[in-house]
Amino acid sequence: MGSSGGRRRSGWSVASGTLSLCGVTLCCLACATALGWMRAPRQFRTDPPLQADLGNLRLLPNRIGGTPPESYFALGKPYEKVAYDLSQGKRLYTWFGCATCHGDGRGNIGPSFLDGWWLYGPEMISVAASIRDGRPHGMPAYRDRMTNDQIWQLAGYVRTIGAYGPSVSATARNDDPQTRPAENRGPASILFEQGPAGMKPEQGPSP
Amino acid sequence: MTGNRNARTREDDRPSDTDVSDAEGERRLLATWATPRTLKGVLSTVDHKIIGRRYIATAFVFLILGGLLALAMRLQLAAPEARFIGPDRYNQIFTMHGSTMMFLFAVPVMEAVGVFLVPLMIGTRNIAFPRLNAFSYWIFLSGGILLWVSFALDVGPDVGWFAYVPLAGPEFSPGKRADIWAQMITFTELAALAVAVELVATILKQRAPGMSLDRIPVFVWAMLVTSFLIIMAMPAIMIASSTLILDRLVGTQFYNPAEGGDALLWQHLFWFFGHPEVYIIFLPAVGMVSTIIPTFAGRPIFGYLPLVMALIATGILSFGLWVHHMFTTGLPRLGESFFTASSMSIAIPAGVQIFCWIATLWAGRPQLKTPLLFVCGFIFTFVLGGMTGVMVASVPLDTQVHDTYFVVAHFHYVLIGGALFPLIAAVYYWLPKVSGRMMSERLGRIVFALIFLGFHGTFFPMHFLGLMGMPRRVYTYQPEMGWGGLNLFVSLSALVLAAGFLLFFIDAIRSARSGPLAGPNPWNAPTLEWATSSPPPAYNFRRIPVVTSANPLWDNGETLPVAGGLNIDRRELLVSSVVEALPEARESSPTDSIWPFWAAMATSILLITSIFTPWAVVWGSIPVAITLIGWFWPKGEPEDEA
Repeated sequence: MGSSGGRRRSGWSVASGTLSLCGVTLCCLACATALGWMRAPRQFRTDPPLQADLGNLRLLPNRIGGTPPESYFALGKPYEKVAYDLSQGKRLYTWFGCATCHGDGRGNIGPSFLDGWWLYGPEMISVAASIRDGRPHGMPAYRDRMTNDQIWQLAGYVRTIGAYGPSVSATARNDDPQTRPAENRGPASILFEQGPAGMKPEQGPSP
Repeated sequence: MTGNRNARTREDDRPSDTDVSDAEGERRLLATWATPRTLKGVLSTVDHKIIGRRYIATAFVFLILGGLLALAMRLQLAAPEARFIGPDRYNQIFTMHGSTMMFLFAVPVMEAVGVFLVPLMIGTRNIAFPRLNAFSYWIFLSGGILLWVSFALDVGPDVGWFAYVPLAGPEFSPGKRADIWAQMITFTELAALAVAVELVATILKQRAPGMSLDRIPVFVWAMLVTSFLIIMAMPAIMIASSTLILDRLVGTQFYNPAEGGDALLWQHLFWFFGHPEVYIIFLPAVGMVSTIIPTFAGRPIFGYLPLVMALIATGILSFGLWVHHMFTTGLPRLGESFFTASSMSIAIPAGVQIFCWIATLWAGRPQLKTPLLFVCGFIFTFVLGGMTGVMVASVPLDTQVHDTYFVVAHFHYVLIGGALFPLIAAVYYWLPKVSGRMMSERLGRIVFALIFLGFHGTFFPMHFLGLMGMPRRVYTYQPEMGWGGLNLFVSLSALVLAAGFLLFFIDAIRSARSGPLAGPNPWNAPTLEWATSSPPPAYNFRRIPVVTSANPLWDNGETLPVAGGLNIDRRELLVSSVVEALPEARESSPTDSIWPFWAAMATSILLITSIFTPWAVVWGSIPVAITLIGWFWPKGEPEDEA
């Protein structure tokens, strides 16, 4: 019965192939840990000094365009691309009743976010300034209702509503009745109708 | 010599093992079956022993990683309002701990022990579908690396190991974290299903001649029942994880109640898999215990038939219990009563098993070696865990302790007590067969003392913490709650438990390197895997044994009857009938191939990139198709004929 064909190899050399595979696995992990160490962790509560600095919008005199605060760049411009911040922005969009005037992004009594027309320009800082300080013809100011980082989160989300290409970190659908494809589905303009868009200067009252 | 007749009926000019001398036959068998020691050999081997060993080692690496996470959690919870780990990281850590232990350790390691042992125990030369076996390992490894690299990149899943919707759904789980969890599930289920199919085919069709159904070792029975559970339970979770990822990525509405979906559907699908999963982990442990006890009691198992019937009954009942995980979701009262009754009824087969083990020990002359110590620790711990199981099967009590540390204590008692203790016993028992060297008996006793005391010190107080109202998955608690003292005790005990595992791993590595040589049958055990050398040669058995009783090595004296007539110049094994294991045919067994590795890599790329774009399924299927064509393309080897 059975022979000693395998006994020539000691138990240790038998195990060494297996151990080297485990070593490869652990090396992958170590590299990933090093990379992960450099990533900023998800912050549920922004530090107060950072929070204060995020409010230092350096706007041009006409309040359109300008330069975001230094801390915005130091953070790595998270509010335009980090999935968590975009999803918080989507939640704020619901909680603060943005849909009342802007609908699901197609606009209602307020302007549409899908038609590619930004009344005050498409930059993050202009959108953030619109939310914080309000705009003529009915856009209220939210500076006393939201924190500075929430304003940035909401601005980031608003900019993804009508994006021409879906970003990997864009938000998915809500657990609600669906009126439009989710932001991560594809270019908004080809997926559904853009809405009335009645607030363009040539069509309606000038801001 | 039952194999001979079949061998001679066929036109065949190659020599069979009856035509040459023993030494010449062994040399040529080794040339036919051995894996070359090159990189290509490592990647393309289909030897069930090598793959089983890899699987087990990888699973133990994941056990260590998951254990380190547990220690991190205990560090954070040792004192109220501790600040070692923030809430976001803590969510990832407990999710990673549960997912790693369930999907990357417990299920794979049990299957891996089966992959290594089942062909040896039933007296065949390789597992059925050996290339699928290789594929399964690479898929499993990719899934594990995906999960852990994601965690290291700070995108580890943070939704609990069961990822309930709506929390894990598109609205409340931003980013790729839940997608990575769902896709990791797909990897591990794919690997598990592949192994289950192989084991069923191996056990039903490749048993040594004479090993009729009532002579199969109980461990093999356990693996057979487990494999059927996997085949029936895993599709539910694959559907669940695939629909979750569809909801999240392409906007389907499976779990959106506002559009006609159903959030509770997730829990039903998950637990229809999740409860059998507990038995997928536990039944192999039952098999290990039932195999280890007779060896150390020095007598055959008491009540072979009731034990096997209890295994099958547990397997069937396990599909009728899943709703007891959902008692607080507001289901109809009648349903709750039904599932309370069915949950309690699982105590009947479990009781039968425990009484059979006790009777075997009672009627034998037990030698209290390390494996038997762990088996005794298992019986004690598992009975305690079973008791709290009967308690939480009752709806009022479950409603009270749902999502508290009482439940945490319960399932660690049944999982560690019911599966990890037998697994450590199995390592002490079978490692000599794997490496050819014994582990230390003296260190083994210290390991047992540390693990047993550390385990109970860690998890018993959690019952009280749960009754005091401490919820699961909290990253900290306030000093006024009065949980601080017990938690500190639990954390200190966890260190004892960890020390036990550290010593265990040191002993295992030390033994594999320089332990005393074991010889073919160091424990005087009765089953066939001890009939070959330790470690077994690549071809497992020089000649296929013929089985005449349930304990062949005890009942046959010094020499086993064998069957000859298999070809030695190509890989060939004996196919036998399902019930009586009468020899039916000589069947070729596939040779080493690199294609399963490439197919697994192509599948991994498809699955991982599909997290980012649905088009990956379309374009990724092309490399998968190419590798599968390469896999199945006839290579003109002798094994291709018939």
